[in-house]
Amino acid sequence: MGLDYAAVKKEVRKRMTSETIVSLIRILVFPGAMFLFALAFFYEWVDRKFFARLQNRYGPLHTGPHGILQPLADFLKLLSKEDITPHASDRLVFALAPVFYLALPLTTLFVIPVLDPTSFIAFEGDLVFVLFAFTLIIITVFLAGWSSINRFGTIGSMRAVLQMLGYEIPMGLVAFGPAIAANSLSISRIVGWQSLNFWLILLQPLGFAIFTVCLLAELQFVPFDIPEAETEIVAGWRTEFSGRKLALLRLGKDLELVLASALIASLYLGGPQQFWLIPPIVAFLVKTTFAVMLLSLLRAVFARFRIDQMLSGLWKYLLPLATLQIILIQAGLGG
Amino acid sequence: MSHGSIIKVPFGPQHPALKEPENFLFEVDGEIVVDVKPRLGYNHRGIEKAFELRTYIQNIYLAERICGICSDAHTTCYTQAIEELLNVELPPRARYIRVIIAELERIHSHALWVGIAAHEIGFDTLFMYVWRDRETVLDLFEMISGNRIHYAMNTIGGVRRDIHAAMVPKIIKGLDFLEERLKYYLRIVQTEQTILKRTVGVGILKPKDAVNLCAVGPTLRASGIKNDVRSDDPYAAYDEIPFNVITHSGCDILSRTLVRCEEMLESIKIIRYALDSMPEGIIRVQVPKKVPQGEVVSRVEAPRGELIHYAKSNGTTKPERYKVRSPTLANIPALCKMLLGGYVADIPIVLAGIDPCFACMDRMAFVDIKQNKKWVWTMQQLRRKYAKE
Repeated sequence: MGLDYAAVKKEVRKRMTSETIVSLIRILVFPGAMFLFALAFFYEWVDRKFFARLQNRYGPLHTGPHGILQPLADFLKLLSKEDITPHASDRLVFALAPVFYLALPLTTLFVIPVLDPTSFIAFEGDLVFVLFAFTLIIITVFLAGWSSINRFGTIGSMRAVLQMLGYEIPMGLVAFGPAIAANSLSISRIVGWQSLNFWLILLQPLGFAIFTVCLLAELQFVPFDIPEAETEIVAGWRTEFSGRKLALLRLGKDLELVLASALIASLYLGGPQQFWLIPPIVAFLVKTTFAVMLLSLLRAVFARFRIDQMLSGLWKYLLPLATLQIILIQAGLGG
Repeated sequence: MSHGSIIKVPFGPQHPALKEPENFLFEVDGEIVVDVKPRLGYNHRGIEKAFELRTYIQNIYLAERICGICSDAHTTCYTQAIEELLNVELPPRARYIRVIIAELERIHSHALWVGIAAHEIGFDTLFMYVWRDRETVLDLFEMISGNRIHYAMNTIGGVRRDIHAAMVPKIIKGLDFLEERLKYYLRIVQTEQTILKRTVGVGILKPKDAVNLCAVGPTLRASGIKNDVRSDDPYAAYDEIPFNVITHSGCDILSRTLVRCEEMLESIKIIRYALDSMPEGIIRVQVPKKVPQGEVVSRVEAPRGELIHYAKSNGTTKPERYKVRSPTLANIPALCKMLLGGYVADIPIVLAGIDPCFACMDRMAFVDIKQNKKWVWTMQQLRRKYAKE
């Protein structure tokens, strides 16, 4: 009769409470939601500022030093704006779509290593989960545009889905390149493999290029901003959204940018690595900022494609190139 | 894509692709335009009636305000008409100054168009760059006339301000800078793959259609037809200045872009020649306030194409009837032809391709198609009708 059940129970509860608090902090504050939101606003600023400088403009200037707080100010202002729901819209879907659009990239970011080479949630096959989440985001986009019963929204959402048919397959194919090299479908393992060997951008430059192009399409950046082409279909699938819903959509888009840049950093640039005394988080921030700037640079130097040109171009050139990359890896090059 | 489901997509009167109040109703099958119905007249300003209420001197400033971009073309056309009624010979120096201002305006209008066209196909970087360099022309205007847009240079019987010797080197310097930049943009338009993708074979207007539908200006010249009021019916000093009429035979948006880009380079040559060979002398002659009875039609090659003014005088200080036919109106039938069978994504660039200026265009006439009758209402009749409804 040596066991004091009450004491054990108390001890377990105490430990569980402290563990729960730690994981709650990790999920909600750092490196979870709050950190990711801050990062999202920061990268929107990097994108806007860098894009503006490339175009010989100033970009955000007045809110905070060099306008760094402008994205946050825009977000807060939108929250206070009138939220209009069109009469004919499918109210439930219309209200839920922005929430999903925000939640999907946020959730997906948890499987990407940020703080250290192992992500918060890591399991074998989380790379497939990320690709699946990208598809879900586009389906949310489609539902958002479709439920608003607006001509421009309808055309925009149809274009979004058509566009997905173009880039999804090449993106999926080349994303398996790093997985084949590291012999694992887990992003954390791929990062770990790169810290022992080379960065995969050196081994698979073709895959890196294709992946970046596909991410431009996923993010709906020029030359693939077809679903929200301002001069053609107003704001495309986002036309009817206003106030809080638009604020959520914008934050969701920023998180998508974080997700895209984090994915480039993890799959091809080695992710959060320790260099000498520099902590991994700094390496992560530097690499993702580079990825964001690369994406802004690309969107500054092109005109917008037409949807048919985009689809045929991606199927004719990008898909065979992606297949070639996989064949090269199988032949022993780049793996 | 979808078959048999035709969506009606309105463009304008409020739309980001259409900066001016005009409505086009497109019937769209998937991404293909199957029908287009333009509806004009949102911006009726009563400007022709206003002409009849003002004196000939006041009307110079009214003509200037028909259009913000081609303000000089409208005053040139107006003063030319009245000068013909008055039978006044322009001083030679004034004729050269009119050419210089008209060509600077052509550069500024075409540069504005290149920027807008780039924006319409989603190439915002080119848009920002072209508009930054366009500032050079506006600065030159400010130096010459004191204003950036409404220069108020023309007056009946000459021009109001001289181009002094001290200004000439500054103008030459500005032109040198512009020439270098414009050549760079011309090269970009010809070589950048995404621009070519969006402009080659888009908005086709065959030469036969262009003539039948009475297209004018760069739209007509991009269909390979050599037509330019400056060389066909020279006014100001154009009969003394050698220049080429630029044509391209591609019939598409790329040709329209190239025509405009090369016309800007040609304008620079014209200005250089005019500055070089400008005769000395007075810049204006005094004219009487009353204009003798008569009718006159005056033509000018505005940046957007052939501009026609008609004036009828009854011997007083105010015109009896005045009519303005702006180039955009002449291009609307051709525009509808270009849009048919194209993609929804190409609508903005094709619309922008004629360099529309809807605000200068809208006039009003009452037409009853069934009875084939046209009439004009007086203000009292209009008030009575709409007070009732």
